[in-house]
This record gives sequence, C-alpha cells and structure tokens, in this order.
Amino acid sequence: MALLEVSGLRTTFHIGVGTVQAVRGISFHVDKGEFIGIVGESGSGKSVTMLSVMGLLPQYAEVKADSIRFDGRELSQMSPRELRSLHGKEIGMIFQDPMTSLNPLFTVENQMVEPLRIHLGMSRERARLRALELLHQVEIPNPEQRLRQYPHEFSGGMRQRVMIAIAIACSPKMVIADEPTTALDVTIQAQILELLENLKREMNTSVVMITHDLGVIASMCSRILVMYGGVICEEGSVRDIFYRARHPYTWGLLNSIPRIHHDSHEKLVPIRGTPPDMLKPPEGCPFAPRCQYCMPVCRRYMAPPTDLGDGHLVHCHLMHPKAPKVERGGLQHD
Amino acid sequence: MTEQKRSRVLMEVRDLQMHFPVNHGLLSRKHSVLKAVDGVSFSLLAGETFGLVGESGCGKTTVGRTLVRLYKPTAGEILFDGTDIAPLAEREVLPYRRRMQMIFQDPYASLNPRMTVSSIIGEPMRLQGFPEAEIRERVRELISQVGLKSDHLSRYPHEFSGGQRQRIGIARALATRPEFIVCDEPISALDVSIQAQVINMLEELQEKLGITYLFISHDLSMVSHISHRVGVMYLGHLVEMADMRELYTHNLHPYTQALMSAVPIADPDVAAASQRIVLQGDVPAPIDPPPGCPFRSRCRYCTGACAETMPEMREVSPGHFLACHVKG
Repeated sequence: MALLEVSGLRTTFHIGVGTVQAVRGISFHVDKGEFIGIVGESGSGKSVTMLSVMGLLPQYAEVKADSIRFDGRELSQMSPRELRSLHGKEIGMIFQDPMTSLNPLFTVENQMVEPLRIHLGMSRERARLRALELLHQVEIPNPEQRLRQYPHEFSGGMRQRVMIAIAIACSPKMVIADEPTTALDVTIQAQILELLENLKREMNTSVVMITHDLGVIASMCSRILVMYGGVICEEGSVRDIFYRARHPYTWGLLNSIPRIHHDSHEKLVPIRGTPPDMLKPPEGCPFAPRCQYCMPVCRRYMAPPTDLGDGHLVHCHLMHPKAPKVERGGLQHD
Repeated sequence: MTEQKRSRVLMEVRDLQMHFPVNHGLLSRKHSVLKAVDGVSFSLLAGETFGLVGESGCGKTTVGRTLVRLYKPTAGEILFDGTDIAPLAEREVLPYRRRMQMIFQDPYASLNPRMTVSSIIGEPMRLQGFPEAEIRERVRELISQVGLKSDHLSRYPHEFSGGQRQRIGIARALATRPEFIVCDEPISALDVSIQAQVINMLEELQEKLGITYLFISHDLSMVSHISHRVGVMYLGHLVEMADMRELYTHNLHPYTQALMSAVPIADPDVAAASQRIVLQGDVPAPIDPPPGCPFRSRCRYCTGACAETMPEMREVSPGHFLACHVKG
C-alpha cells in the first residue's frame, strides 16, 4: 500500500539569470515498509524531488504538484506550520554531510532531545533516556559520555550515526536518506549501510535512499527510480534496472561503472557529451542529445511511460511498437 | 602496453618518510609529529599504472605530492631514473619537473580562474623556458588531444563543466611531455557518466605515449580497473602490494580484505553472494602513533607481536608484498 504518492511534481528555481527547471513533472509512489532508491547524477533533480515533497526548499523555489499524498493527507495543501509538525516526527531526514547538518554550538544531547520534547511531549529526563537508547541502537560506544559531547568531537561515521539516531527518534513512517554515505570512507560506508539495513529490518520504516552510486543501492533497495534531467526515465525492481533495463540512459550508467569482480579487462563505455543545462532543458527527452539511438521524435516530445509489467516503467520512444529494436550495447551480462 | 615492455624501473622509492610538525598553539611546549608517510618503499615500472588506495588520512596523497617533490621528504630516497631527487633543492628539482607532472582532484580549485585555458595549459612550458611560438603550437595540439576545441582556448575555467575542466588539467599535465604523472583522485569530483570518459582518455594516452601513472584513489573499483599493480596504504604505511589480479583474488592483509569487501558492487546477484567484512571503529589519528602494526586496533587477528613491532614488508609470492605478522 502506498505511503507516499506524488503526481505531476514540478519544481523551478527563479534565479537571477533565469528559471532552473529542476524537476519537470514526475509521478511516483513509495510503499509502506519499502526501501526505494533514487539514482541520478548531479543536477538530475533527485534531491530536489524529495526536498519539494518535504517543503524544505527556499523561498525562490516554486513547487507545483497535482497531488502529494502522504499517509492519507494532502501535503501540497498544508501550511508550512502543519508541514513542520511532520518533519522529524513522521518523516525523518538524513543528509549527506553530517558536519553541516548538526549544529556545532549544541551538544548532541541537546539536539537529540529537541525532537522528542517537541513532537512527543516528553519530559527532559525521559527524552534523555530515549536518546541514550537511540545512541545504543545506532551502535555508538559510551553513549553516556557521548551525549555530553559536541559534534566536532565525533568522527564522520559517528556523526552520521547521530544523524540517523535523530532521524529515527520519533519512529517516523518514512526516512529520507540523501547521499548518506557519500562523504564517508568505504569501510565506514559499509558500517553505515549495515546499520541502515538493520534498522529497516527492525522498524519496518519506508526508506527513500537518494544516491549517485549504483553499487550502494544494488544490495539495499527493492525498487529503483532512475532520474535524468529532472524527469524519471526508468523505474522498476532492482532486477529490472540491473538486468532488464530498457532505457538507453540506464544502459549508459551501467556500462560506465567498472566491475571489480570481472576477470578480464573490459573497456568502460562512457556516455558521450554532458548533462543538459537545466536553465534551458531540451524540448523533448532530456537524454536525446547524448543518446546513440535518438530518433527525430525524441527531440520534440517527451516519451510517455510504457509499462513492461510489475511496475517496470520506461519513458522512452524506443518502446513504441514501430520504433527500431535495440539492445543494450557494451558490457553484456551473460 | 604489453607485459614485456613494462620492465624498466622508472622510479624507486626507498623508506620514504614525510612528517609534519603539529602546532599546539603559541604557548604550548608540546611538540607532536604527524607521520603522514612513515617508511614506504615501492618501485614504478616505466609505462605502468600503479594504483595507491586507502582511506582519507592514510597518506596516499602525501606520497604522490612527495614523489613530484611538492614536499621535501623528511627521510628516504626517491630514485627517478637513477638520480635521488629527495635531497635536491627547489632550484635543482626544476629540470625534473618537466619529466613529472600532476593531475589534481578538484577541477574547480586547481585551475586559476583568472587565466585563460591557453595560458593555463602553456604555464608548465613557460616555467621551463620554452619559446613562446612552440608553446602556442603545443597548446593547440594538446587541446585537441584531450577532446576539446581550439576555440575553447581563449575562454576561462568557469565556462566549462567539471569533466571539461579535468580535461584541461590533463592537457596541462601533458604539456611538457612528462614520463610520469601523479593522478591524485582525478575522477572523484566527477559524475559517473563523465568518470568513464576521463578514465578511458587516461588509458588511451598511456597506450599512445607510454606514460607511467601513479593513480591515487579511494575508489577501489576504479583503481582496479585502471591499474596494473596496486599498493594498499593504512595510516602512513604500505600494508600490501601486488599485481591487481593477484591482489583481488589472493589478498592476505586483513585490511585489504575488509577494504575489498566494503566496495559496493553494482550487481545485485554478486552483491548478495559476497560476504561483507565490516570493520569496527575508525582510523586512528596519525599524530604520535603508538609502536606496532598501525591496523591492530581494528584487526580481527591481532596478536601480541602486533603491538610490539611494525611488521616488515616481505615478498610472500613473486611480486606480492605483505606487511603483517599474522597472515601469509
């Protein structure tokens, strides 16, 4: 059952030189208890999508949507005040850089107790006990002592654990993790990913993981949205995306990452060209200028979604019955 | 490049140490030493790519910068084509700079925003005193070699995307026709689809020009893709070094094993089948490290001997070096 249902989301930023069309009409849903991944490169609109849903964008951003339904309520009609009561309570957030998202002037205890007191009305003492319990849950050693410390006394991995503890403090229905491990070293990343997996299993929370790293989501997520140029180009189960992808951009992404577990030295197949300028995004499919299978229609019109069954949706004109049949080039899976 | 061709030793590093003094404030009597690189030895063969991997703070960038003598090492030898360049004064290093160059991690910070592309690419040649006419001609040749157009030459860095800037950085590194280039995380600031473009270009340049690369990265999958041999660093020490295939299939050091297994695999079936070794704790600080093996605080196999002496680097099989008391 869908916990979050977004349809027709458009986000634009009005800046000095023009209007950046960051998200250009996307629709998706997140089911209860689902671990979903949004992949895309920088500027693809993956972070802006979730920030728009949360109402966390600055003043100069304009968010339009046909509807954003979360747990039976319409978020797009809510006042900022009502939205704020959801933040941290029903929707938790984990950001990329734990140094800038924790306040350096307050102790960890201060920052952990705040949401518990505001949202759940706990007394200071009860909130402190809950904070200890949470630090224990995210496997931080010496929680008693750690509570009294400031963020700068924590390493990057430990800070991210604190962020996770705050995000899950009020047992939210959904957690949004925006590149939670990008700033961390690989062995620390492995620790954090393991922690997220354990928490998901224990709490049955929906998790939306935003990342540029296909490796991170391959082992974690059940469903994946691939974004490019402010639109979703393909969505489906992990196996649909990794083994049965149909969109040339998804092929391009898969072909351009090296595979350490393969014996022979394969040449990488890069995607030619550069991502579109979102001040003047192309009229048709945003990937058309870089696509080796581009047809005249691609430059004029965005492709409608084609349902290949079981929620595998592809937004590409090549899915049209009269379009030429092409297969994924480059590195082929056997 | 074939295996036979890569046999001449271009650079030999012996017991390289790079220590930095740490300031505890004006009135403090405490003097600490940050041992960024603490006794690293390896050699680079002409025409090969040697990958250096490790986590932040392990000293891999310091090794790279010391090899091209951006730092003067505290101790140790750097034999470049037979000459020890470690003790040379800044002025004496200059002739060697023509033969070794560097590509930096951040394509935004490493290009001067007030210089045009053509003066950026020509700068190393200008410093070496090449005649202006030759520089102009070479710059035109370089810009097309890295896949940019000659009308880009009069523009400024801010007009380019990250991938294009990194191409400009590569053109600058190639300007003096170096034999050796240190690539310090050259792709980690780039998008996935652009990373492959830059990696392929570096590979093609090596095939054509026979350049030797020291490829520094924390991304093990990219390092394993581009490198012939790989060294794994931890807290200022080289802990294991071998041929890429050998290191992938027969890694012995507990840290290498954890590092390898921590790399996220972009293939759900393979990822599900592989075992992840999750290390406990963080990397300790390299300031005044205790004696013994640097990895022992996080190691599953740690024994008494590990706390006493730093394990020596020894050859466990041809070309495979390991520094561990327990394994091998």
